Amino acid sequence: MNRNRFLFVAVVLALLWSLVPIYWFCRMALLTPLEIQQYPWPLFPRAPNVASFWNIFGYDYILSDGTRVPASGQANQIIRGLFDSIVVSCIVTLLTLLAVLPLAYVFARLEFRFKSVLLFAILLSVALPPVSTLIPFYAMYIRIGLSGTLTGLVIVDLTITVPFVAWMLIGYFRNLPPIERLARVDGYGRLAAFVQLVIPLAKSGIAVAAVIAFLFAWNEYTYALVLVNGSTANTLPTAISGFLFQDPQPANLAASVVVTIIPPALVAYFLQRHVGEMNLVDPVR
Amino acid sequence: MASIELQRVEKRYGPHSAVRALDLRITDGEFLVLLGPSGCGKTTTLNMIAGLDAPTAGQVLFDGRDVTEVSAYRRNVAMVFQSSLLYPHLTARRNIETSLRYSNMNRAEKALRIAETVRMLEIEPLLDKLPSQMSGGQRQRVATAKAIVREPAAFLLDEPLSALDAALRLSLRSELVNLQKRLGTTTVFVTHDQIEAMTMGDRIGVMSGGELQQIGTPDEIYNSPATLFVAGFLGSPPMNLIEGEVIAGRFHSDQLSVPLSAPPGAATLGVRPQDMHLVAPNAEGALPVEVFALEHLGRESIVIAEAHGGLKVRVIVAVGFAARVGERLGLAPDPARCLLFAPGGARVPLRPTVAA
Repeated sequence: MNRNRFLFVAVVLALLWSLVPIYWFCRMALLTPLEIQQYPWPLFPRAPNVASFWNIFGYDYILSDGTRVPASGQANQIIRGLFDSIVVSCIVTLLTLLAVLPLAYVFARLEFRFKSVLLFAILLSVALPPVSTLIPFYAMYIRIGLSGTLTGLVIVDLTITVPFVAWMLIGYFRNLPPIERLARVDGYGRLAAFVQLVIPLAKSGIAVAAVIAFLFAWNEYTYALVLVNGSTANTLPTAISGFLFQDPQPANLAASVVVTIIPPALVAYFLQRHVGEMNLVDPVR
Repeated sequence: MASIELQRVEKRYGPHSAVRALDLRITDGEFLVLLGPSGCGKTTTLNMIAGLDAPTAGQVLFDGRDVTEVSAYRRNVAMVFQSSLLYPHLTARRNIETSLRYSNMNRAEKALRIAETVRMLEIEPLLDKLPSQMSGGQRQRVATAKAIVREPAAFLLDEPLSALDAALRLSLRSELVNLQKRLGTTTVFVTHDQIEAMTMGDRIGVMSGGELQQIGTPDEIYNSPATLFVAGFLGSPPMNLIEGEVIAGRFHSDQLSVPLSAPPGAATLGVRPQDMHLVAPNAEGALPVEVFALEHLGRESIVIAEAHGGLKVRVIVAVGFAARVGERLGLAPDPARCLLFAPGGARVPLRPTVAA
């Protein structure tokens, strides 16, 4: 009984920790600019309105009392950022999987020379703090004309997602049952066995890997701030940060944060079955 | 169906030899069991027959044709792996179908073949289940169906029953033998369980340390083991092995003295528990022992007796035999049923003695 009570308190604390900030900016997004400036802050929006969600996409909104809330001056950046973020995240996810699936499989299931040294080389880049590669990348990109481009951002994101996701999937593939031997008796070649049997078998692990790559690319801020901010290849996190510096609009800021959460929330929702199913130690039960 | 021959087959992993210079002939339609403790090279041998592992040296022949470089699929072998491995994400039906995936049969022929196999193994209700939804015995049946549906040249099984409980093993053992005899497919069955080996095999190959110790019928393996290892590995309760010396036509160990016609020198005497008799403690030539424990098996009982120096000797006695633990007795082996092994482990042939 005591144990249960402790568990209950712990869960409540964890929920408060993660949900209160989300509630706080959802609340902010539904307030009018006037209400936000009130003190003490209203805990609940008395007359919730969706003005900010229209404003950040470039539309004026007329409240029920007839007040016009003008469109945000940063609407273009938000729309552009949303589009760029979707493009970058999808491409990064796709390329990460294309690179990592064969890589992780080979490291997990085959024996070859210098395997442990090569594995160490891959994993070393996980240990490297991303910021340490930022300046070299910046200098290099200026020279070869990749700064301010989505291509450049995708390449940098891949340097993080590929080793990290590989690290995760190697362990997962290693624990799959040895179906390759069965496949060889059935006449499958190595590649056919991988594509037709191992990938479908490993779909839970692959789905989780995809989510991780997508979320990383979606949330990535540091690289984007240095490499693409201010250019036409701006992503959503940096575009939103504009609200802090250029023209403080708390309601618009909150609304765009809410918009930012929606795609990863959808991804997580549709893949949660796989996330729950995935078990690194015993992938197939 | 095929005869299989291994010629001087070797498998090395770096400096470690898993299988050394192995010669083996398996005749068409035979059920051969490879028996040995773990790490003796029996699974490696099976994998080389299957074409999953390439031998470091030597040749594998199917029907006299060299298939050393031929893939597992082209050899037309079927295999049941440890714990009856199936594709975990496919239903039983799809698992069986993948065996025929690359065959030249048309759709109707395949369907007919699958239906036949399903009927033979009575797995109709399992067809739409995933392996994770089946019991160990059901998985074993489906794995067998998947293997035989191709009508393979050879049927290779790698400890398929080891993960199952005892009662299930007992029934699946006879089912597998029955199936093999009906199909007449050359079969190689790997196990570390001597009872499985004795009950299932037409012949048994006993392996140890990467070498074939002996190959023969269960009768030959049990009653005339070629080496000390084979003698000690088969039989339950195990054979009694008593170290001693042959002097002037008699084997001596402690006060034990058995007439044997063998060359003099150090040797090990092997006597099955049923070939030992309990006699009076001070009988002429008997081994003095103390009763250590008495095990009742229902049909018979086993006396475990301890000789000087801690050697435990097992003797089968009739039901109703009573003895106190610690009671002093004598043990006399039946000289006609004794086996003698040289210090290297090789069997020393005995001529029948007139004196006995």
